[in-house]
Amino acid sequence: MGDLINALIFLGLLALGYFAGTYFEKQHYKSIKQRERQTRHVPLVTFGAKQAIPEAREVEMFAGSVVISSDYFKTFTLGLRNLVGGRVVVYESLLDRGRREALLRMKEKAIAWGATQVLNVRLESSTVSGSQGRGPISIEVIAYGTGIR
Amino acid sequence: MKYTPKEIPEEVNVTKVHPLVNFGYLLGTVIVATLAVYFGVGLAANWLATRISPETEAHIGHYLAPSIQRQFGKPIADDDRLQYLGELLVSLREDTTGIPLTVHLIESNVINAAALAGGHIFVTTGLLKAARSENELAFVLAHELGHVAARDSLKGLARAIPWAFLVTAVNISNGDLLSQSKIVTLTGKLNELHYSRKQESAADLYGLSAAMRRYGHGGHSLDFFKRLVEKHGERDKSQVYEYFSSHPLDHNRIEALQRVAREKGWSLEGDATSLPPGLHCPNFKCANP
Repeated sequence: MGDLINALIFLGLLALGYFAGTYFEKQHYKSIKQRERQTRHVPLVTFGAKQAIPEAREVEMFAGSVVISSDYFKTFTLGLRNLVGGRVVVYESLLDRGRREALLRMKEKAIAWGATQVLNVRLESSTVSGSQGRGPISIEVIAYGTGIR
Repeated sequence: MKYTPKEIPEEVNVTKVHPLVNFGYLLGTVIVATLAVYFGVGLAANWLATRISPETEAHIGHYLAPSIQRQFGKPIADDDRLQYLGELLVSLREDTTGIPLTVHLIESNVINAAALAGGHIFVTTGLLKAARSENELAFVLAHELGHVAARDSLKGLARAIPWAFLVTAVNISNGDLLSQSKIVTLTGKLNELHYSRKQESAADLYGLSAAMRRYGHGGHSLDFFKRLVEKHGERDKSQVYEYFSSHPLDHNRIEALQRVAREKGWSLEGDATSLPPGLHCPNFKCANP
């Protein structure tokens, strides 16, 4: 009886994770694509150490960061993947969303300031996990670059 | 060079595979691998158990018996009933495995009997109180003898030890992240039930055959089981029928025995042999007769 209840709770969480996770991911991608179209007029440009940086009246540093959590379904699938090894397909979309959202947040701030270009953008990511690595994992992605106008 | 914004191409960073397909594939792989290991370990354990000498088995039982005894309850060390039970067991024995038998009488209201590797047989005073004829007591004891003869307990141990290692290894590698390790544990558990049922029916047959030899008929042998089935139906709370959980018992099992009896021409009718008076009291002496 106890085992049955545990199994039902587990299946419930798995279903919740899958359906809610998929729904939020779809919504997020919709928003990301729309905002990417709106902000694509400002280029992100990278310059090497020996290249001249474009002339600018003003420069400012912009950073955008985002924390995205895995869901129960994704985390469980990751655990199964850990047993056999290979590409963690379910986490690819999580990191993809994180990178694009962080870039967008940085870009939106820069655009609001009036940037014409954002130079030398860098991306960094880290995991934010529960106590002792248990429980679903969240990832943080931070994007930063120099806006010029 | 002039910058002209373009439509961002379709994602290449996300693999185009449905998450459920991916999940199903993973789950299938883990379950199939677990089953393969489980049956591999099971076969190896059975092979090993038949190769362990009775002396070694007796050693194993000797080391395990005290801890098992504690789980059951308080043992009764010096009692005339031990001798009676020992003699009954010897008279019922049919196998020639040469494993020495040791009876442990446990002071407990729980109705239970169990067999451990090395010929250790545990009987609770609750079982003695619940028995109404020697025939039914003999059947329960002979059933446990059947487990000893088939070395079921040893097989179980040989299977459980590598299995425990595997489950621990999975737990460690996963940091007990969620319950992936439970998939492995559960797959093993479900098969465990099936395994023990098969062993139970073999022990049942041994029990009935032993009762036939001792009493010349199988009458009243199954009474204890029949009563348990009825009481279980009524959810009798007065006594704890532990025997039930360790020995999955239902009408099917009784019917299976009746079928075998018909095939072999064993009579399931006959007079009950009465139990020695005072079996439920220490040394057969009841304070208030």
